[in-house]
Amino acid sequence: MGTLSRAAQALFCLAISSSALATEPAVPEGLYHDPVWLNLVHYQPDTFGSGYTSEADDPAFFLSPDGKHSPRAELNATLAAIQASGGGDESARCRFPARDAWLRRQLDLPADPAPCPAYDTWRRDLNTQTVTLVFAASYLNSPSSMFGHTFLRLDPPGNDQNTNLLLASTISYAADAGARDNELMFAYRGIFGGYPGVTSVEPYYDKVKLYSDIENRDLWEYTLNLTPDEVDRLLAHAWELRDKNFDYYFFDENCAYRLLALIDVARPGTRLLDNVTTHAIPSDTVRWVVDKGLVSHVRYRPSASTTVAYELDHLTDDQQAIASAVADGYVKPDGQELASLPTTARAHVLDATYDYVRYQSTEEKWPRELAAPLSRQLLVARSHIDGVKPVPKPPAPPVRDDQGHDTFRVSLAGGQQDHRGFSQLTVRPAYHDLLDPPEGYRPGAQLQFLRLDARLYTNNDELQLENLTAVEIRSLSPRDGFFSPLSWQVGVGARRTDTGEKRVLAPYLDGGVGGSWMLGAGVQAFTLATADAEVDNDLNRGFDLAPGADLGLLYQSPRVSLMGGARSKAWMVSEQHRQDTLYLKASWHLSRDISLFGEFNREHHYERYQSEWQAGLSLYF
Amino acid sequence: MKKLIAGAILLGASSMAFAQPGCGVGAMIWKGQSGIAPHVLAATTNGSFGNQTFGMTTGTLGCQTNEAVQSMAMYMNSNVDKVARDMSRGSGENLDTLAVLLGVEQADRAAFRKVLQDNFALIFPSADTTSDQAVDAIVALMEKDETLSKYVAA
Repeated sequence: MGTLSRAAQALFCLAISSSALATEPAVPEGLYHDPVWLNLVHYQPDTFGSGYTSEADDPAFFLSPDGKHSPRAELNATLAAIQASGGGDESARCRFPARDAWLRRQLDLPADPAPCPAYDTWRRDLNTQTVTLVFAASYLNSPSSMFGHTFLRLDPPGNDQNTNLLLASTISYAADAGARDNELMFAYRGIFGGYPGVTSVEPYYDKVKLYSDIENRDLWEYTLNLTPDEVDRLLAHAWELRDKNFDYYFFDENCAYRLLALIDVARPGTRLLDNVTTHAIPSDTVRWVVDKGLVSHVRYRPSASTTVAYELDHLTDDQQAIASAVADGYVKPDGQELASLPTTARAHVLDATYDYVRYQSTEEKWPRELAAPLSRQLLVARSHIDGVKPVPKPPAPPVRDDQGHDTFRVSLAGGQQDHRGFSQLTVRPAYHDLLDPPEGYRPGAQLQFLRLDARLYTNNDELQLENLTAVEIRSLSPRDGFFSPLSWQVGVGARRTDTGEKRVLAPYLDGGVGGSWMLGAGVQAFTLATADAEVDNDLNRGFDLAPGADLGLLYQSPRVSLMGGARSKAWMVSEQHRQDTLYLKASWHLSRDISLFGEFNREHHYERYQSEWQAGLSLYF
Repeated sequence: MKKLIAGAILLGASSMAFAQPGCGVGAMIWKGQSGIAPHVLAATTNGSFGNQTFGMTTGTLGCQTNEAVQSMAMYMNSNVDKVARDMSRGSGENLDTLAVLLGVEQADRAAFRKVLQDNFALIFPSADTTSDQAVDAIVALMEKDETLSKYVAA
């Protein structure tokens, strides 16, 4: 089948090139090296050798059978194809309108418009005047969302009362993962490739529903300052990409990466993709777009959970008590307690209660038999109150996600471990920990990837790998009268562990679950039940397990972050003993990109006390 | 991430654009949607994951030929809880979207919002009202209204 279609393609090109011979335009030498052409066909220089390879993994994206690796062959084939007689939706001009327009301009070819019914209808339906990059921020209790997600919204002309942003279309790129793949396969193929990625167009209201209402993620809308010509190019290229497969990779060639490529095509010379090294974190890609001066203005769309928390916060304590009683069914929505409130307050209690019930139905799976009649009663009661405006929408946070500290951190420190001095270098490619500057990140949330701590002990110049964190997630979500999320943590990697005689590097897996409560502004207390597993030859039985507990306090503010507490682990397999630790960490944020930090641990382990401290400097890139 | 990617699976095949009003219902049909019209006022379910329809082939809307009404029916089907909320408050962007889909002019928007707010209990007579039934009730109310009847003429 593949061979057949290739042969057919070759024949097709042959036929075209013979007919095009007569009118061949003068193609400037090296035109196929033009950055615009390389962008249009998604060529990237090969790591080895001087050639190019296109990131497209779909034969339908190329007109030349050699197109995947040869910009020149693809350019010649495209040139021939767009000059071929015959039009219609299947013609090269209609399938590749962005390439067509660029080549015609470069070569001064007649630019008479080709009739392309399908493309023309698509463009008319999209009715696009401006383009907005939408960033779905992370949500505290959903660490897989922590990298964020981006997509493009195609905004209709704003002065038209017959259009509406919720009805605008969006363009996004996502992995087409097989529904039957298990988690492990999913992770493997996501990282090493194997899932096709496709560009899709959906209405914005579906995106709002998914991210705002179901995943509880705030949306940031960055309207781009693209000119009409640039918008035109972006759409023409989006058309070329429709239904074409580009293999999806979680870390680099992901949702955000493809959008950058699209913007690069829209505004030649932007070179957003040059920023991508090993990974493209969506929140980082938003920074690049902002840094390149592509944004005209930014709008904030709070999620369902942000909105309901704000509405409840807006109520007085008494009103909150009524809202809570109504939601729990102790008080009827048309009962005396509500009727005695002033009109505006009554409306706002009803609004907040409805949103709360709806949130709980989605999040905590409140049974429909309970939630639906209550929701209806609340709305009916509210509909009897005329002329009261709802509580205003929550204001945008003063610091946006893209304005927070950069995610790549390097720290240098000096310290002592049981009276041995050391210098420590920490490299943490991503993303944020609880002691980092908190602005622009969710309070109480931590996600670290591939963190490496290396130590040089000064007494004998011994270089040791102290810690290698593959991944570490902590989510400390405060509980209150209305919301009762779990706090939890999970980590995997290798760390120095004390066997009683020496400190060895042991692979570990740990986790914990518990609760957290706000004590005051920025201060929360947390308590977690934990479990640890370590594996090492030097342990008596090769491995060890420990249930444990972690109690602490966390304070986060733009200037200072503090965390202190006590941790206890009861090792029980290789050697039964307790490991009790008191810990204190402090970080002073000189700016969002520089912090000074200090750390002190006092540990009781194997019947002896040990102290460890270090102090140093963290820089964020 | 799984959720996100799972969502993209079903939508991946879809390549049609949502038309702004006036471009015809045909342009608004996405592939991969089938199933039962959702009940109103339940939990927000992820309709975009392919478990919904917009009731034009089933239920009472089969004979409704007004494209604007069909657009509204489709929007209601996937956002009925938010539309109901805005309706009870007499304002909100989902109510504005409904007005846009029906082609209600600025001058008539206040009347539109008021009719829907005042008749909320009629539009949603029970907790089991489906979005199709709510659409029918809205159309019936608008037909009876002097200012609004022109927007729902078949």
